[in-house]
Amino acid sequence: MRVFLLLVFLCAPAMGHQFTPTYPKVYPSHLPGISKVTMELFNSRDDISYYTIGVFTTNWQRVPFATASKILKVKYLGRETVDIYIRNTDLPKAVYICSKSKTLSGQKQVAVVSSKICSKLK
Amino acid sequence: MFKQTSLVAAILLSVTQGARALDAPIMGSVQSKCSITTDTPGIYGNPTPSVLSTAAVDGGIEPVVRFDVISADYYKAVITHPQDFSSSPTLTDTVVWNGAVSVSEVSDPLMSGYDAAKRVYNNVTEFDLTVAGTTWFSITSDASYGFDKSWPAGSYNAVVSAECIAL
Repeated sequence: MRVFLLLVFLCAPAMGHQFTPTYPKVYPSHLPGISKVTMELFNSRDDISYYTIGVFTTNWQRVPFATASKILKVKYLGRETVDIYIRNTDLPKAVYICSKSKTLSGQKQVAVVSSKICSKLK
Repeated sequence: MFKQTSLVAAILLSVTQGARALDAPIMGSVQSKCSITTDTPGIYGNPTPSVLSTAAVDGGIEPVVRFDVISADYYKAVITHPQDFSSSPTLTDTVVWNGAVSVSEVSDPLMSGYDAAKRVYNNVTEFDLTVAGTTWFSITSDASYGFDKSWPAGSYNAVVSAECIAL
């Protein structure tokens, strides 16, 4: 018998994703001409272990930045602090800092939900 | 006598200090925050050979995603229903997608106006989260294959994107 079930979401109670603070502050880094923003990611999705970080303009164009790793491995119920480095020349156009869940290619899961949370630089 | 009194006093003092050391302060702060939680798994039913649908009448289950915001007016919810499969058998014909997003449950009656105020463009629906609390959004999605063509057998995966954007 043909099976045509498509699960749009894979979920269980209390599978969430948080990215704080909402309005992060920008501090000078130890490098000249570079500013630093510190964010915290909390993973309460047991189906997701990887998150990607992005910095965007108000029109969702990518802004160059540096982190220790652009793809973060965060274990279930784990918290990860991320330092994001942005050139001072790019800072005026940087508006959103986002974290987005990533699923593994070829992962044998029948459903996927992509969650993305964006904080705003003010 | 004096020695004994001093000893008792010293013991009492140390016990009191020990009790003081047991004080465990709990600190916390409230800050604006958004949490996205997948609440109900969505399932596409296959009512006819050429249709996949999450509608209950089609044998499917509408997915529900939950947004929690601690403070009002800090975030908007942006939900995108699928317009392609993330994985599927090889498809040789066009797929026509339809979908919608609506508020299915709220923790505060003031959120009842979210549906009327939502903005829809392409396959994206935006809601301003103007009330603190929890909102559940349900997503309907259906896909039709070719001109009444049967879907090839196999496993189909699609992605619904749930975003919480700071305002």
